[in-house]
Amino acid sequence: MGFAQLKDVAPGRREFNETVSGHPDFPQLIALKIDVQRRGVHYTDQALSMVDAEIHQLRSANIFGTRDAVLRPQLPDSLLLRDGTSIVVDPSPLDHDPYFVDLIDGRLFLVDAGEVLEEVDLWHKPRFYDKFTRSGIPMNLVAQARPQRINLFLSSYCHFWAKDDGGCKFCDIVNFGKQQKSIFAGKPNRPRPADIAETVREALRERGRFTTFCITGGSVLKGGELFDVEVSHYIETLQAIGENFSTRKFPSQIVASAFNERQLSRLYEETGLSSYTTDLEVLDERLFQWICPGKAEHVGYKEWRSRLIRAVDIFGRGYVNTGIVGGIELARPHGFRTEAEGLARTLDEAEFLAENGVSTIHTVWVPRPGSTFGDQTAPSLDYYIRLAKGLHALRVKYRLRVDFDDYRRCGNHPDTDLARLL
Amino acid sequence: MTSAVTSGVAALINDRDTTKVLVTTDASGVPHAAVTDFVQCGEDGRILYFEPLESSVANRNLTASIWFDRQVSIALRTPADERFHIGARPLRALVAGPAFQRHYDAFRARFGDLDLATVWVLQPERVDDQDFEQARRRQAEDRPFFQHLDRIARHASP
Repeated sequence: MGFAQLKDVAPGRREFNETVSGHPDFPQLIALKIDVQRRGVHYTDQALSMVDAEIHQLRSANIFGTRDAVLRPQLPDSLLLRDGTSIVVDPSPLDHDPYFVDLIDGRLFLVDAGEVLEEVDLWHKPRFYDKFTRSGIPMNLVAQARPQRINLFLSSYCHFWAKDDGGCKFCDIVNFGKQQKSIFAGKPNRPRPADIAETVREALRERGRFTTFCITGGSVLKGGELFDVEVSHYIETLQAIGENFSTRKFPSQIVASAFNERQLSRLYEETGLSSYTTDLEVLDERLFQWICPGKAEHVGYKEWRSRLIRAVDIFGRGYVNTGIVGGIELARPHGFRTEAEGLARTLDEAEFLAENGVSTIHTVWVPRPGSTFGDQTAPSLDYYIRLAKGLHALRVKYRLRVDFDDYRRCGNHPDTDLARLL
Repeated sequence: MTSAVTSGVAALINDRDTTKVLVTTDASGVPHAAVTDFVQCGEDGRILYFEPLESSVANRNLTASIWFDRQVSIALRTPADERFHIGARPLRALVAGPAFQRHYDAFRARFGDLDLATVWVLQPERVDDQDFEQARRRQAEDRPFFQHLDRIARHASP
């Protein structure tokens, strides 16, 4: 179906124009990224006609799911804007009012309500995607790529889900993990270190392609102390990656559970890991208990926050952050009643963290069908612009860098896109 | 789009012996000038600026320029003392993909063990010949009030 037949399903153009005109100091390209993430995309048939599986990166194995509960591995992974900004975005059902990606004069453009907005590029497939490990596993099931990052997902199972209602309410990790098993049938539950080392070695042959690693997975509660087994998984993974480097440390990030100082010291001392992220998800203790019951029960909000702050002593200022799912602080029925209240509370708590050397970064909440909050709605574009500006302003105020999680190393946080100006 | 850069000026840009100065402004309008060897003119008349340092002032300012649609300037001075000013606008920041990787290889082949953060694609909008003698003569003819009287006095002071 072409754009011309569907232009009436995208009525958000006025909201976009009115919102960005109220924020002349905010880059329109980043506002566009946010709005595309809020509403998702629809690729027209014409756009899909130029997608080439030999060249472009199609939707790979991932840790979180889709917007419409349907995984279509033949669709492009995501987009790049002309300023180098990534838009990590899922295809969205037409009744969700998505942006269109359409083919115009042989090039791809974002189109909304008849207006041709910006040219976009598809992500390109890294060469290692077509290779196999010596054990016979497709390397694209061992590691996945963003435009300049290698992702390693250690587990699609989160042990908080073992107890009914223990998983975070915005998260679909376990449901999505089951869903993609049928499509990515050869994907190992946890990649073996030898396969990781071999895949990374192959990936690094492509010059100018990658700048960092992100390693993540569901929480693993087992061990002598809580999370000890999860820590061991990260250590063996990072050591396998490290075989490929001449330096002791290499640009890398884990997005993991809230480890204690002994566990963090092990990670720092025994591996090349150079930054640490553990997600509070929502910056309010009451909402954390409601939205993240597993995290609240096993660690608790204040202890999770305290572990972040203690991690700064090990990894250093500017190398520790926490992710929040921007907008879930407004989830119904227990969230803040107004966007103003949600923003004020979030930035207030983010400032406490920044004072203590911890950066806060946000994603744009996509209510996914496989999550408890699947039928909710993300807040306005204006809210996200204010949130991104507020978090960026805190990094300016407290002179906090976020190099390890910026537009190039990650690309999924509008607030850290702004760090290009720092 | 037709480029404002003639083939002659393009050749001067690509001449390694031409001195090039890139002038950018930050988000507040504060200017910054940097002498650079990393400017090239493509066959399509667009100018490429190869930025090796992600953290450089120029890289930050070019980001501000592409975000807020502001011009940058490039000043040229050739070994023969020809001088040009080029006003340009950032069109694209190449940071990934096959084109970026080709530039990455070529850049490192030429400059050695440098990284390449961004290839800035600049669209030239105007080129001004800044030959000083021509400018001086033009002002003398067109703007006769722009001079001090002692310079044309019958009995000029020594």
